[in-house]
Amino acid sequence: MCGLCGLLGIVHWTETSAHPGAFTGDRRRTVRAERAHRATVVNTALAPYRMKLSDFQATSYVLRSATGKSEIVDDIQAVWGAVERLRGAPVDPLSPEWLDALERAT
Amino acid sequence: MIPVNVVTGFLGSGKTTLLREVLARPEFSDTAVIVNEFGEVGLDHILLEEVEEGVLLLDSGCLCCTIRSDLQETLKALYDRAAAGAIPRFSRVVVETTGLADPAPIVSTIAAEPVLRNHFRIGNIICTVEAVAGHATLRDQPEAAKQVSVADRILLTKCDLAEEGAIAEVEAELHRLNPFAEIWRTTGQGFNADVLFREDLGDAERRATEVARWLEKAHTLGHHHIEDSHTNSFVLRYEHPIDWTAFGVWLTMLLHAHGEKVIRVKGILNLRESETPVVIQGVQHVVHPPMHLTHWPDADRSSRIVFITRDVEEAAIRSSLRRFLAAVRPADSEAAA
Repeated sequence: MCGLCGLLGIVHWTETSAHPGAFTGDRRRTVRAERAHRATVVNTALAPYRMKLSDFQATSYVLRSATGKSEIVDDIQAVWGAVERLRGAPVDPLSPEWLDALERAT
Repeated sequence: MIPVNVVTGFLGSGKTTLLREVLARPEFSDTAVIVNEFGEVGLDHILLEEVEEGVLLLDSGCLCCTIRSDLQETLKALYDRAAAGAIPRFSRVVVETTGLADPAPIVSTIAAEPVLRNHFRIGNIICTVEAVAGHATLRDQPEAAKQVSVADRILLTKCDLAEEGAIAEVEAELHRLNPFAEIWRTTGQGFNADVLFREDLGDAERRATEVARWLEKAHTLGHHHIEDSHTNSFVLRYEHPIDWTAFGVWLTMLLHAHGEKVIRVKGILNLRESETPVVIQGVQHVVHPPMHLTHWPDADRSSRIVFITRDVEEAAIRSSLRRFLAAVRPADSEAAA
């Protein structure tokens, strides 16, 4: 991603905070804490596949597979495409097997 | 932000009649219109050209996919020319789709392009359906059914030419395909253009009215499933506040895997992080930026999320969201009803 794209400010809707004051996110969690929370929630979803997301410099996220493959993504939406590329299939939240695994992992 | 209205509807359903009448009104004189040529439907352009100077004719076929970049370029060119003073400034854009087009890609075209999304926002999607042959069209043409399911407003046209029984039959079908959209009977004139084009979620002053409108419909819906059809519409309700991030993660995951089947999603959310409700809405893979309401539109404080899906059962989505929220915050498992 070039710097200009960042300047143009394509903020995905999941990269917002629900706090009053137009999603500024300055009331309850810091930006870092907010991003860490997002990664934690995503990691719950990825636990059945032994993949992990972590914040990278408060600008991107790094997705890592159990075999060491990794990919940098810009926002939560982009995580799912990266997961599909790394494991060869998307996460299907309607799959009973995934839901069962999710519950076993937590 | 300039609203972009999409006018969709099957061939011969009265899109041009609607536009011709509404665009002739003084309050819509600063509307730029984009039509596209698709075989003989290019004739529409000749009709529109007489009422609106801002018409640009897209010339490379169907609007639904191949010329999405054309639509981007057309919108940008319109904006640039207005900014440079080459054409009058406009406060609204109307895109008329071809009769066969899927309106969803138009929404994604605007949402995906960084320049466009800073200047334009999606307004209401208006769908015309004609009363005489509408029932057969909806039954036989999946494109027509999709247009109805995506719409925010539905106009039942040519009601002066159809029998009452036929009209009621089409209305019932429309309600099944999209129980959350307002349906009006028309005879080709006297359109309520204000409600059709102007009253939408993007307008801060009218947002609450619009939310109240579809919440009322959601309230009376319960669960709806069409026999011999793939379309489902239903409401998920949660009494307790939801974690915004968990909801966002779940919805993006769902739309990544099944976006083409989740035709519409709209919701008012009671979030842990916010005292006031947050409104979300999406068309297939595209979710509009979430918006705060200053107050709850009714006494009910529960989150209500309405879905229109194809080939995805209510039970699967309900169970998935409930179990995911519970997995994220085990203590909340009782919160998801």
